[in-house]
Amino acid sequence: MLTPEIILQTLISGLLMGCIYALVAVGLCLIWGLMEIVNFAHGQFMMLAMFLAFWMYTLFGLDPLLSLPLGAIVLFIIGVATYHFIIKGMLHTTFFAQIFATFGLGVFLHSMAQFLWTANYRSIQNPVLSGRLAVGNIFVGFPQMAAAAMCILGFLFLYWLINKTEIGLALQAASEDREAASLMGINSNRIFALGWGIGSACVGVAGVLLTNFFYIFPEVGFTFALIAYVAVALGGFGSIVGSFLAGIIIGLVEAFSGLLIDPAFKYFSIYVLYMVVIFFRPQGLWGRY
Amino acid sequence: MKIGKIVLAVALILGIGAVWGAQAQSQQPKEVVIGGIWPLTGPNAPTGVECTQGATLAMDIINGKYVKENLNLPLAKTEGLPNLGGAKIKVVFADHQNVPDKAMSEAERLITQEKVSALIGCYISGVTAPASQAAERRKVCFLDADAIAPTLVKRGFKYFFRVTQDDEIWFRDFMFTRFIPDVLKQKGGKIKNIAILNENTLWGTDAAKYGSEFAKKNGLNILTTIAYPARSTSLTSEVQKLKMVEKDTDMLLSACYTADGILFMKTFNEMDYNPPMIWNDGGYREPAFLEALGKKSDFILQRDEFAVDMGEKKPIVRAVNDLFRKRFGVDMNTNSSRNFMGVIALADAINRAGSTDSEAIRKALLATKIPSEQCICSWEGIEFDPTNGQNIKAVSLMLQVFDGKWRLVWPFDVAVKDLVYPIPKWSARK
Amino acid sequence: MGKEERSSMDPTKKNWRQVLFLSVVGIILLVFPHIFTLPFPQHIMIMIFLYATLAQAWNIVGGYAGQCSLGHAVYFGCGAYTSSLLLIHFGLSPWLGMLVGAGLAVGLSLIIGIPVFRLAGHYFAIATIAIGEMCQIGMVNWKGGGGANGLYLPILDEGFYNFEFHTTKVPYYYIALAIAAVTFYATHLIEKSWIGFYLRAIKGDLDASRSLGINVARYKSIGLAISAFFTAVAGTFYAQYVLFIDPESVLPLMLSVLISLVAILGGVASVWGPFLGALVLVPLSEFTRTYLGGGGKAIDLMIYGALIVIIARFQPEGLMGLLKKFR
Repeated sequence: MLTPEIILQTLISGLLMGCIYALVAVGLCLIWGLMEIVNFAHGQFMMLAMFLAFWMYTLFGLDPLLSLPLGAIVLFIIGVATYHFIIKGMLHTTFFAQIFATFGLGVFLHSMAQFLWTANYRSIQNPVLSGRLAVGNIFVGFPQMAAAAMCILGFLFLYWLINKTEIGLALQAASEDREAASLMGINSNRIFALGWGIGSACVGVAGVLLTNFFYIFPEVGFTFALIAYVAVALGGFGSIVGSFLAGIIIGLVEAFSGLLIDPAFKYFSIYVLYMVVIFFRPQGLWGRY
Repeated sequence: MKIGKIVLAVALILGIGAVWGAQAQSQQPKEVVIGGIWPLTGPNAPTGVECTQGATLAMDIINGKYVKENLNLPLAKTEGLPNLGGAKIKVVFADHQNVPDKAMSEAERLITQEKVSALIGCYISGVTAPASQAAERRKVCFLDADAIAPTLVKRGFKYFFRVTQDDEIWFRDFMFTRFIPDVLKQKGGKIKNIAILNENTLWGTDAAKYGSEFAKKNGLNILTTIAYPARSTSLTSEVQKLKMVEKDTDMLLSACYTADGILFMKTFNEMDYNPPMIWNDGGYREPAFLEALGKKSDFILQRDEFAVDMGEKKPIVRAVNDLFRKRFGVDMNTNSSRNFMGVIALADAINRAGSTDSEAIRKALLATKIPSEQCICSWEGIEFDPTNGQNIKAVSLMLQVFDGKWRLVWPFDVAVKDLVYPIPKWSARK
Repeated sequence: MGKEERSSMDPTKKNWRQVLFLSVVGIILLVFPHIFTLPFPQHIMIMIFLYATLAQAWNIVGGYAGQCSLGHAVYFGCGAYTSSLLLIHFGLSPWLGMLVGAGLAVGLSLIIGIPVFRLAGHYFAIATIAIGEMCQIGMVNWKGGGGANGLYLPILDEGFYNFEFHTTKVPYYYIALAIAAVTFYATHLIEKSWIGFYLRAIKGDLDASRSLGINVARYKSIGLAISAFFTAVAGTFYAQYVLFIDPESVLPLMLSVLISLVAILGGVASVWGPFLGALVLVPLSEFTRTYLGGGGKAIDLMIYGALIVIIARFQPEGLMGLLKKFR
């Protein structure tokens, strides 16, 4: 029987998971918005952040909460490095080649993870954030709540950064018109590297937060990344608000379709939603292009 | 620019040289080669590695590395295969990467180039099918030690042999007619309504199908069947659906793999889902499962074909497990032990055949009669049904988790710990 | 109509060179299975032909028309499942099943085209991914089509009629070669024809094409339909070759990505690009797996991934681009 409690529980679970999808999507969107390159290694970046949190915990007893800034910084560096060594030389090549450079990077990264750390599933057993909040028959896990809260905070910070700071304006300018921006003294290379760094840091944060309640292994990034791509397209390439909200929508659709239709069709429903929206609004819900 | 030319040159050289190299016959010393095809990369890699470890230990025992231990196993007291002039066994590993056409091509490559006398593999039912089909087409014996899908023995194959228990046979002859009644007789209570939870691939779907078919035949009632996509990012809606029928649920019958299992148990704990019995059809074998969950995994029941605890009543188990632990640093589990026995069974048959001729090996396999005392798995022996190659002596055990360890709880006459039913609610555990 | 490319060489001389080149390649390919008699090298060549066919088919809509489809596995699966289901349930000859499957794939492409051709660039790519995933999930849950268990094709007596061979791979080799050759020839014809011209125009500048009166929607659909046709034919071949199909093997995203990878690395919008791409990528993946993959350390995949990055980064026009520089 479908009680209001169950509906509410589903709503909350969907929202919380959605916030995580949202932050991952925002990172992807940032990179895309800047130079129209989809980072197909995004899921693997997340996986690296998760392994980082795991090893910090296992080797040094560092709780994921404390690894959070570390995750953000390390992923920032990885993002910048990716831009510098791979993407920078490919700005003028075809869309196809760009996709495959990051795709190849993704394959390399998850294989390297298996090589270094084996394919075994890992887990952080006793994070600081554990347990749950019980209100009547509604249960909300602390890790998920905290993760969602931090994703929202992260997003708000990003929004402020993009729209209210000079750096953010420079990012926007460079994405609109690279040449004009450089005429204005904006070093486009630096800006793009920054974009990659920030976008990767986002997914790094999401990854570390996930380790509080999700398992870790080399291919963990795949499904999350796939959802992120759909979220960005659904929200509209180029709008980080759109990506964020789309991520949350997807979280809700996943939870409710699992409950009301069939868990076997959770992801199917997400894709159907996407196709329906895209049919009427090809540029996504909040898309610019 | 330069790099591009170099890369192209390298790639073309690799391509051509490799194709040429494939044609070259590999130099073979005098030994008998067995090919093992397992998932060595991808999400099932941990299991694949365990399979190779079991096979490696078996190989070493057969080749005489542990003669001093005087193990009660076929071929453990000699070096190599006596009837083939002491020829050693070599197991060659191949990775199928969970891709059917790769499994098929690896099977063919092992047969035609590595000149294997027999094959063993592939853990995943959907991959075992094409690999064994390739073997059948070339009339080479294929031994399946892990994949339990009933379809595999219904294809009318002559060269396919399976040592592990068939899932359908388990549900038909044991689950509801022996295990459940045994538990109820000892513990009281009733099991009438069950909820089924299965992952959406071949194994899970089959388990759910036979589980519900025979449950109904035995008068049980299926409350709900929840099939979910494996390795989902979130399992809250599945648990929600389980909770909706929680009040009436007497038992949760599940077919889930480790990754989802970890997430499920955490979600069960978080959402306070308390069925009186949680039973899994054998996907939670990796150490990672227990490591990840700690006390949250307590009281889960799982069907298995090996338990370290068996060593208390069966010395051969303890002896082999000790060797394994010394070698690989972990205890054996169902994956490593089944493939261990698989290699032993193959070597035993090849030895009795006295040759590497496929037909002779096949006949020898059909005549296999390895007794229970020489099996480290829970079987009553190894004897293949001549009509379909299934080991008719395969039986399973029930393990339950106590304090983060799997303990043997059924059959009661070999159990080392008392089965707990009904299991305590989350709130009652601390 | 189309412009004749100015060649700095005498046209007859160029023709001779081309004919000679084609003949040499043709002879090598025809004789190959009699020199390399072991199944493994033959299998690799069959896979090369298969992927070359798939990449070539993808190329029609991806390379020439510029629509990067990452959901082509749908047509592959359509071909494989259609012919297999017809064989299992009605005993229909796989050859006829192949035609039915290809026809269905064409129909499918027309339906899919309706929503996706409104999109461009990344939106198009992700929409094709979404559709691909939906189809895979659908097949997993459709028990009538085998569901997650997949379909086991019946083992019949070997022969061309049954499209099954058990003792040797050589007939499979020639069939795969024939399919690849037909696909290549078709692409060559398209490239030289007005369809090809329109497709290239669409890729070059969509709005300009439209303003010139080119019915963009129609030509994109035609391109996709032809592409779907050949992809489905390859699907039926695969089913008859492996004799087992399931959603995981004929419908996954990975396959779609791989198809486009072969085409892109080979060099899009060229007739020989897909063949080159397959010639390099297939043996690379097979050999790294065979010789380096046994340890469970994924070294083979690391090399594979690294090489893709290097080629994409330093030679984005693909291998064809590299070859052109040699001329």
